[in-house]
Amino acid sequence: MKVRFVTRAFLWSFIPFALLLAGSFWVIQQRVQRTVHSGLRSSLREAHMSMARLRQESELQNSRFLRIVAENPPLKAGLQLLLVNPKSGSARLTLEDQLREIAETLHFDFLLVSNPEGAPLVGVVRIDDQLVAMGTQRMKPPQQGFFSLGSNTYQVTSFPIDINDENIGVLSIGEHFDLSEFTTPAILAQSGKVLRSSVPNASPAELESALRNCGDQAECETQVAGETYMTLAADSINFGDGYTLRSLQSVDSVSRPVQAVVREVFLIATLGALLAAAALSFFSSRSIVRPIATVVSSLRQSENTGTLPSFESNPTTIHEIRELTESFTRAATAVRESRENLQQAYVEFIGSLAGALDARDDYTAGHSRRVSEYSCAIAEALNITGSDLEVLRVGALLHDIGKIGVMDSVLRKPGKLTGDEMVLVQQHPSIGRRILEGVRGFQSYLPIVELHHENWDGTGYPLHLSDVKVPLCARIVHVADAYDAMTSARPYRFALGHEAAMREIKRCAGTQFDPEIVLALLNADQAGRLARNTRDAEPGLRLVPVPKATGEAY
Amino acid sequence: MLVILTFLPSLRAGDIEGTIIIQRKLTKRKVTPSADFYQRGAAVELGSDPDQDPLAFERSHVVIYLDGNFGAGGNNTAELNQKDRRFSPDLVVIPAGSSVSFANLDPIFHNVFSLSKAKSFDLGNYPKDQSRTVTFAKAGIVFVDCHLHPNMSAVIVVTPNRWSTKADGSGRFVLSDVRSGTYTIVAWHRSAGFFRKTVHVNESGHATVDFTIPLDEGGIVQQARQ
Repeated sequence: MKVRFVTRAFLWSFIPFALLLAGSFWVIQQRVQRTVHSGLRSSLREAHMSMARLRQESELQNSRFLRIVAENPPLKAGLQLLLVNPKSGSARLTLEDQLREIAETLHFDFLLVSNPEGAPLVGVVRIDDQLVAMGTQRMKPPQQGFFSLGSNTYQVTSFPIDINDENIGVLSIGEHFDLSEFTTPAILAQSGKVLRSSVPNASPAELESALRNCGDQAECETQVAGETYMTLAADSINFGDGYTLRSLQSVDSVSRPVQAVVREVFLIATLGALLAAAALSFFSSRSIVRPIATVVSSLRQSENTGTLPSFESNPTTIHEIRELTESFTRAATAVRESRENLQQAYVEFIGSLAGALDARDDYTAGHSRRVSEYSCAIAEALNITGSDLEVLRVGALLHDIGKIGVMDSVLRKPGKLTGDEMVLVQQHPSIGRRILEGVRGFQSYLPIVELHHENWDGTGYPLHLSDVKVPLCARIVHVADAYDAMTSARPYRFALGHEAAMREIKRCAGTQFDPEIVLALLNADQAGRLARNTRDAEPGLRLVPVPKATGEAY
Repeated sequence: MLVILTFLPSLRAGDIEGTIIIQRKLTKRKVTPSADFYQRGAAVELGSDPDQDPLAFERSHVVIYLDGNFGAGGNNTAELNQKDRRFSPDLVVIPAGSSVSFANLDPIFHNVFSLSKAKSFDLGNYPKDQSRTVTFAKAGIVFVDCHLHPNMSAVIVVTPNRWSTKADGSGRFVLSDVRSGTYTIVAWHRSAGFFRKTVHVNESGHATVDFTIPLDEGGIVQQARQ
């Protein structure tokens, strides 16, 4: 799989960072939640305990108050009356009436007088807001604890009725047991069976199994309907008869909102940290990659342009990248130099080949070199510089390379050529083109080699092109070639003098030559760039009649 | 009673009339709790407070008598029953020497006792349809209670002579057949106490005395129980 360097740098910096952050946040959150949970639980327990203590205190107060009820002289008198007349219905009624009165006045729901042995004598109980007398024969209410009568459950406390330190009976006082008076949910159970409960959304079966988990523990934590509850057994009174009373508090409902806040805070913190990490990773990966990307883009550019890049101005101050670009620059320079050397070598080779060709004949010796010089002079007059000038220089040096393929007998023939011989000679531009075509990097010289004998008016060879259809460089070389030919001696004539040659060229401007180039030649001459003085100093050679410029300058 | 009497015997007799003026409530009446007892027995009307004018109640609970041991006492018998867990009536006026019979008409036991100086007694507990009798030889205020029912209470006013009466609801009273002379006339209210005035019954045989109970602002209210 291809992965971009920037992606890779981003992922390598972001993923470990993100994992580390998320992991540590998770761990911290867990810890915080646990701490919060246990803190809440302990405060809950304290609240629960203090409530239980308050309840215990209020029960104590209540018991003091109830003791006073047992110290009721009329009640004592009534009990004594009944004890003296145990069979008397009126006596029973009298005591019952007193109990009713107490119950009415003090709002008790259950009042029972027993003899000192604990056998119930007379009692009244409130059922549906009506005080009714109890049938006491079969009843065995506890002295202390809970007592169920029909669907009602009463919480009962008993106190002795004494006269002068003599115990004459027991007064049991009870109230409807109502879980709603508890500030917390509560369960009343008898021998593990739930009688009453104020725990929301919990069935008795669930509560019973939760209570079983708690066993005999006074304080325990248990699950009811998926909620964690802390339960506390009310142990302030001995309920007896297997009754247990437990108050419950939901730990979850207390801790849930806090936990939610903690979770939210950590979620936001984690997301924020991840975002920050992503941004940091993004910028760091960008800053790592940017210098490399710069290098890469300049390399790609050089790939498109075909030139080797140079990093003369370092794109970065980063040490490694600079090393990279420097070594690349060194390598590129080495490659370029070697390529240039190679090119140079080719050019020199071809140039020396052309020189050697020229040197076969005394008359043409130095011709290629001179044409090259003249061409450069004209080009400078035309303000041609740089690589175009270089192409012209080398191309002019090579312009007659095709003459390799023309027989010496024709080339060196003193005197006029026949038509066939002329045809052979006129093949040299095409031959030169063929020779150089196969050489890589010489494409730019081909027009000069092939077209330096095309005339401005289209009378040249080999393609008979006219005016600007012939490339400028070929037109320049054409003029330079003609000038050199005219100012050089031939076996069959003397060399023309400079002035004469110039005149002849001027005469042929617009027919054989491009007038602008002729003008450039004149300018170059005036600038003293056409240094052909040595030849001009051979006056003896000028005796030959001036040949026609056309066709003569091979 | 440490009142110096002025006793002037006269051959002619007349009436003392008057009005008890009570303008505010004096008694915080304790109403028997409406314990619907005997639900399984006979229905008994309980001691709900009659819709009585409270001031009329106060006036009708004022006893007026002439102070002083003159004339013969009484030997009649008054009734003070226990019914609906109340003493009925709750105020009995008798001359010294008379008897009161205490009959229990309730289906429950009652107990009648008094710790008053004038007469202290305890009749014990006794059930329905039994009656006990007590003779009051000495003049004075006798408070009667029930051991079993502390909210039951009655007063027997034992007067030194037979000139005694209760005011009616409008506060009016008449003591008739009073020989002419000068007397100390006493009005007693359980909460307000004793109020004494001197009254002169002349030969025309008519005198008028008005009591304002309690005394006007700045007056002294005497103690109810001495």
